[in-house]
Amino acid sequence: MPLILIGVTLIIFSMIWALGPDRLLASYIKSPEALKTPDAAERLIKKYGLDEPMPVQYLKWLGNILQGDFGYSMVGKKGVLPAMLERFPYTLELTIYAIIPVILVAIWLGVVSAVHQNKFIDQFIRVFALVGWSLPDFVFGLLLLLVFYSLLGWFPPGMVNTQFDLIMRSAEWNKITSMPTIDALLNGRFDIFVDALRHLILPVMTLAYLWWAYLLRITRSSMLEVLRKDYIRTARAKGVPENIVIQKHAKKNAMIPVLTVAGGSVIGLLGGTVFVETIFSRVGMGRFLADAATLLDYWSIIGGALFFSFIMIVGNLVVDVSYALVDPRIRLE
Amino acid sequence: MAVKRKSEFRKIMKKYWKNGTAVLGTCLLVFFIIVAVFAPQIAGVNEMGNNYQIPRVSWSSKPIAPTSEHPFGVIGGRDIFYGVVWGTRTAFRLGLIITGFSALIGVAIGSISAYFGGWVDEILMRIVDIFLSIPFLVAAMVMTTILGKGLDKVIIALIIFGWMSTARLIRGNILQAREEQYVLAAKALGQKDWKIIMKHILPNTIFPVVVQMSMRIGSYVITAAGLSFLGVGAEPGYADWGTILSYSRNWMTMLNESWFAIVFPGTAMVLFVLAWNLVGDALRDIFDPRMRS
Amino acid sequence: MDSKNALLQVKDLRTYFHTEDGIVKAVDGVTFDVYSGETLGIVGESGCGKSVTSLSVMRLLDEKGEIAGGKIIFEGRDVMAIPESQMMKIRGNDMAMIFQEPMTALNPVFTVGFQIMEAILLHQDVNKEQARTMAIDMLRKVGIPEPEKRVDEYPHELSGGMRQRAMIAMALSCNPKLLFADEPTTALDVTIQAQILELMKSLQEQYGMALVMITHDLGVIAEMAQRVVVMYAGKVVEYAEVLTLFKKPRHPYTWGLMNAIPKLDEDKEVLYNIPGVVPDPLDFPDGCRFNTRCPLATDKCRKEEPPLVEVEENHTSACWYVDKLVEMIKVSRAGEGA
Repeated sequence: MPLILIGVTLIIFSMIWALGPDRLLASYIKSPEALKTPDAAERLIKKYGLDEPMPVQYLKWLGNILQGDFGYSMVGKKGVLPAMLERFPYTLELTIYAIIPVILVAIWLGVVSAVHQNKFIDQFIRVFALVGWSLPDFVFGLLLLLVFYSLLGWFPPGMVNTQFDLIMRSAEWNKITSMPTIDALLNGRFDIFVDALRHLILPVMTLAYLWWAYLLRITRSSMLEVLRKDYIRTARAKGVPENIVIQKHAKKNAMIPVLTVAGGSVIGLLGGTVFVETIFSRVGMGRFLADAATLLDYWSIIGGALFFSFIMIVGNLVVDVSYALVDPRIRLE
Repeated sequence: MAVKRKSEFRKIMKKYWKNGTAVLGTCLLVFFIIVAVFAPQIAGVNEMGNNYQIPRVSWSSKPIAPTSEHPFGVIGGRDIFYGVVWGTRTAFRLGLIITGFSALIGVAIGSISAYFGGWVDEILMRIVDIFLSIPFLVAAMVMTTILGKGLDKVIIALIIFGWMSTARLIRGNILQAREEQYVLAAKALGQKDWKIIMKHILPNTIFPVVVQMSMRIGSYVITAAGLSFLGVGAEPGYADWGTILSYSRNWMTMLNESWFAIVFPGTAMVLFVLAWNLVGDALRDIFDPRMRS
Repeated sequence: MDSKNALLQVKDLRTYFHTEDGIVKAVDGVTFDVYSGETLGIVGESGCGKSVTSLSVMRLLDEKGEIAGGKIIFEGRDVMAIPESQMMKIRGNDMAMIFQEPMTALNPVFTVGFQIMEAILLHQDVNKEQARTMAIDMLRKVGIPEPEKRVDEYPHELSGGMRQRAMIAMALSCNPKLLFADEPTTALDVTIQAQILELMKSLQEQYGMALVMITHDLGVIAEMAQRVVVMYAGKVVEYAEVLTLFKKPRHPYTWGLMNAIPKLDEDKEVLYNIPGVVPDPLDFPDGCRFNTRCPLATDKCRKEEPPLVEVEENHTSACWYVDKLVEMIKVSRAGEGA
């Protein structure tokens, strides 16, 4: 794990290092005034150590990162780290709302599909999932916005209505979790809670949609494999009712590959928040990254990439731990 | 033996054509190939320069709904029909180049890793782990932001971050195949290692890679389009489905006036990806030994 | 014996599988009886339909399999007419089964104890505590040391032989009247095989259940069974009491199986293998199904299927040359020697 962290920082740093001293310098300078004198550029390159060998620069940069200094963010108009910490709760909220229905529905559908292999319901679910898997998330998001906002006007983009936004920015609003729906409840403003939910529906659908087709397919194939196993026959030979055979004996085994294969990929799909937050004009980490890319705000991009990678590494660790919880064969080692 | 192989092949083909979704996928694919090949005849060419640049038909940025002259409408002054048709070529180029090169790198690294084993394997697999720890889309975004705009940069970025799963797949398959009887037999007969790999192991491990490749073409095209949509992919005006979509970012609150800029390139994208997924799905069913018995 | 007293009667059973390539007639007219307390052996090479026969009786066929004909009568009830909800109560309680691979037949994510208790809780009116005590007792009975500890272990923590013992404990936990043992020792080491067979024998005496021993190994049959059904390509080719079968086999296939046993006490080499393999069930030969591999086959065997005829009391065989068989085999041997 520390090895992976070092590797990831090295890759990310070498990408920014590849920009070369001149372009990097541009990201340090906040006004053209600084470059007025003829030798200013060279002086500044020296000052920031941009002409030093890569390993030295890397260690310096890593040292800064460890102290929490990720550089200045043009997008956030403050340090990269505070800018990201400010945005993260919004993305977290979105993700939590998206993942719960996905896990429940996708696994349920995957099991149903496998149990009725090649029957009509299976074919239907498979085609549905295949089409879902083929429809890019940003196209789906745009279509949702087109239908439910532009045409029907049901679900607006953004986070909350303008008047609620003002309330949430005011001094008497208690920022506890920074997640709008939860803070609304904690502040006793049920109307704001409902409004925040209303703004969440489309983005949650888009993000959830990204995961469910994938999870469903893995659940189905894993379940099909398990249903062919001898111990399933053993369970039936014991007189275990069919629904318990499926829900208990088969499902627990089928969840092992679902966890390992899908767990990692699902975290990888977190990148989807980039599209979702851009399309539905929400504040969050994904949007932060998208804006930084458009503005060529290098330090924000690098910060965002580090942030997403960190989440991914921690997520994979969680997956490994839960793997051991489900599969007794792992526990021993 | 040769006869048996042939009849086996025929059996597989028969099975393939019996599979309804596989036939649908193949038909869709053939349709896209035709559109790509005959793009100049279908949508015309850009007389002002590069064919992959959508010609300007209007200097107003306002979207124009479909007319008989511009059947898919106009956005940002560009003819969407032209962009969608020529975008098919872009999609094939993107998909095939990225998949081809990343599979090549993956096969090379995976085979080296499995062949040498030991510390070489250890190091290469750690590198794979490290590359897999950066979310694909995020990595591609950083890469294209730094390399600058342009389709070639997108291709480079996606290749650099796209080879890992192939490497893992081929490594696992080779390690498994190495334990098979016929390989042990070849070893006992004193055949050279690389010969065994070329003759016995690779042919038996390459099918899963082919299946994986066919499934990935679609997802690479989606990712590339996504980058264009975010404005870090192809240049504005390039005949690319994602680029056309990105124009609607300027009309986000009035999508009902620019629906055609989403629906047409979106449909093309969905069908293109669906075609590859259907074909890949069918291939997997056929090559999966457990399904064959 | 009068078949009316039989615990299980199987009459002209036909089990077909509908596959993509056509109908596989895995079991095609099989008849036998099983009596309380006895051991019936079913012997034949793999792919002869032995396992499918037992799965048909327990109604555990997968969705492609279908009982296309015949009758199965268990304790006087027509098994095929029993509704699934009733069948569930019979499975594990009245009829139980143990399988070949103790590695894969136990669920890897549940403890051994849980898997035994599950059967007990399903079929007996006891609470969890009592079921646990019974499971531990059962593990002790099948010779697993430290059953109090083992009960909480997972299958992967046990050795192959221990796993098969656990499997047996699970099958016997509800004291079934009929136990199918499908190649129970094939996957085990030779020394462990003997232990397991010994265990099954003593448990059978203790519980008085009927045992159907399915195997390809005549050695196991000689050890365990009183009566033997020899199956080939989905059909019964010979049936006899065990001593009769070994002394006077009346079917060339049985001869072939026996000669495949190396005999240590004889000088001359009699190790003989039946040439070829069991024919593809999609494409059985015309006439006698054994004709492709039978050293004695004539044109008649290739055209007409021989009926199962009684050659003496309690001994039937399906061969056109039952009477001449002994003679012919001698001739055929002499010819080979020359």
